[in-house]
Amino acid sequence: MSNNILKFAMNRNTSVEKINGANLRSVCRLRDTLTDAEVVIEVKMPDMAICAISGHFRHAYFEEIEDLDQRLQVLIGVRVAAGMLKIIKGLMGEEEKIHQIVYMVEECCHGVILTLTRKVLLKAPDDEAGKFSFYSNMVQKSIRLYDRCAAFAKGTPLVAELESEKTEGGA
Amino acid sequence: MFDFMRNKVVDVARLDQETLEVHGILDDSIYSLELDFKVNISDLICSGVKGRWLRWTTPECPRAIDFLNEAEGFCLEAGIDNKIHKTVGRRSCRHFANLFIECAHAVRETIKLLGWQEAQKKNPDLTFKQFMLTDEKVLEAQSSVVVENHKEVSTSGSGGAGGDAACVKPSARVESPTTSRKSHPGQGNFIIDMHLHTSPASPCASDSVDAMIQEAKRIGLQGICLTDHNHVWSADAVLALREKHDFLVLRANEIITEQGDILVFGFDEDIQGIIKLVELKKRVAAVGGFIVAAHPFRGFLTFGADDVGLTPESAMAREMFKWVDGVETLNGKVTETENKLSQDVAKGLGLPSTGGSDAHDISTVGVYATAFDEIIDGEETLLAALKAGKYHPVVFR
Repeated sequence: MSNNILKFAMNRNTSVEKINGANLRSVCRLRDTLTDAEVVIEVKMPDMAICAISGHFRHAYFEEIEDLDQRLQVLIGVRVAAGMLKIIKGLMGEEEKIHQIVYMVEECCHGVILTLTRKVLLKAPDDEAGKFSFYSNMVQKSIRLYDRCAAFAKGTPLVAELESEKTEGGA
Repeated sequence: MFDFMRNKVVDVARLDQETLEVHGILDDSIYSLELDFKVNISDLICSGVKGRWLRWTTPECPRAIDFLNEAEGFCLEAGIDNKIHKTVGRRSCRHFANLFIECAHAVRETIKLLGWQEAQKKNPDLTFKQFMLTDEKVLEAQSSVVVENHKEVSTSGSGGAGGDAACVKPSARVESPTTSRKSHPGQGNFIIDMHLHTSPASPCASDSVDAMIQEAKRIGLQGICLTDHNHVWSADAVLALREKHDFLVLRANEIITEQGDILVFGFDEDIQGIIKLVELKKRVAAVGGFIVAAHPFRGFLTFGADDVGLTPESAMAREMFKWVDGVETLNGKVTETENKLSQDVAKGLGLPSTGGSDAHDISTVGVYATAFDEIIDGEETLLAALKAGKYHPVVFR
């Protein structure tokens, strides 16, 4: 059947590794039917600031982005931190042909965040009760998690203790 | 050795003349999940959204599946990402939202390919690159496929700050209103929440300025500073609010710089986009204003500055602290550890400290605030007090 033949296929891979002892290198590679591109960032730890960045398209259907590597250098010094996306977009601009490369920078940054997140999550116990307690404590310690996704939504079990504390505190 | 790896695969097939079938997989060192849905080719409306977890973290993550239907009926045109973050990301799961955004991108690329294939029927030698460069209609068609989502995204984006009095040109500083300010005897200080957001001026806030003021009054604050993101309140609008509520309302701003968010006082300029901190400092200093580093160590959802080994000594060396006049050391949206790090840095550098709730709805107004030694009755006295350093952050609520 011809409808089993794909019209479009995409692979995006992001990998993060330690380099120079402590810094992190995050690489995002995109290969799809139309585009082949790569962005690499190096993040200085513990400040989590971008200290090196490069990017290029091996294959794209739009006109070449002149001085892409040069344009990316404006992101040197930007910290991988909450609120970084608006900073990256603001510094790189809103041109349509730059969207993909900006998205790939974001993916590199997310890779760094998830690398550090993974370290925290590895501390979670294996048993269900221990796991429940671990994540319940996590939301109490980091209020930013509260009501930010289905797992920590208002009125759900993991936030019950936090909500009862809030009620007591507000009474 | 890699510490983290994420792979995303998206494929799009044409089910029939009118329908695309989309399948996405996200598989990384932490999560594994899949998405399937269909898209109507003529209007890019998606339907039949189904998701599946293969690996997840918390015992409650499976709940996310039930909320994927929030994306039902979305038009996947360019500009939909924000809406996906706010609905799928917030109500379901940010990782499903991430994959959904990839799928939406794949759909738009497929539509371009289909347009090219149509054009090739008339001109078999036409390459895709030529088609994209010459046929601007493709892009036009893409951006005008359906206006519904665009409208919704626009009103929830930065452009949505134009409601009511929000977009009036700023004018001179707001000084003592005709109504008298009452001090609150017994508290010993004049307490102002120095960091607060309102809707619609801040797209991320959910309660109106009237509701925020009423709550501030109810809990006994003596004033609030409106610090809506990159938004300048008009002096007239703020004066009207003061008179309406008989309450001290002050203008400020939270401006995005390449080094993070900065609270700005005594500065009327309407800055849009990102400004370099050095440039902001120069402009604010030129008009006698005051800038404060907002939540300088705001971390992430599951880990903070302490988890990555940031010490007060290394944090003090940050470029940002060379330029700011003060540091927000009690912020209602960060953890105790992150506030503590801010306090240590401010103390180490001898910078004055402020406190503010960073409230985006009434439930957290006044959790933290700033206690001034003297009565503040307008922007002039606020600026004078900030520069004199006669204040300290307080836990208020």
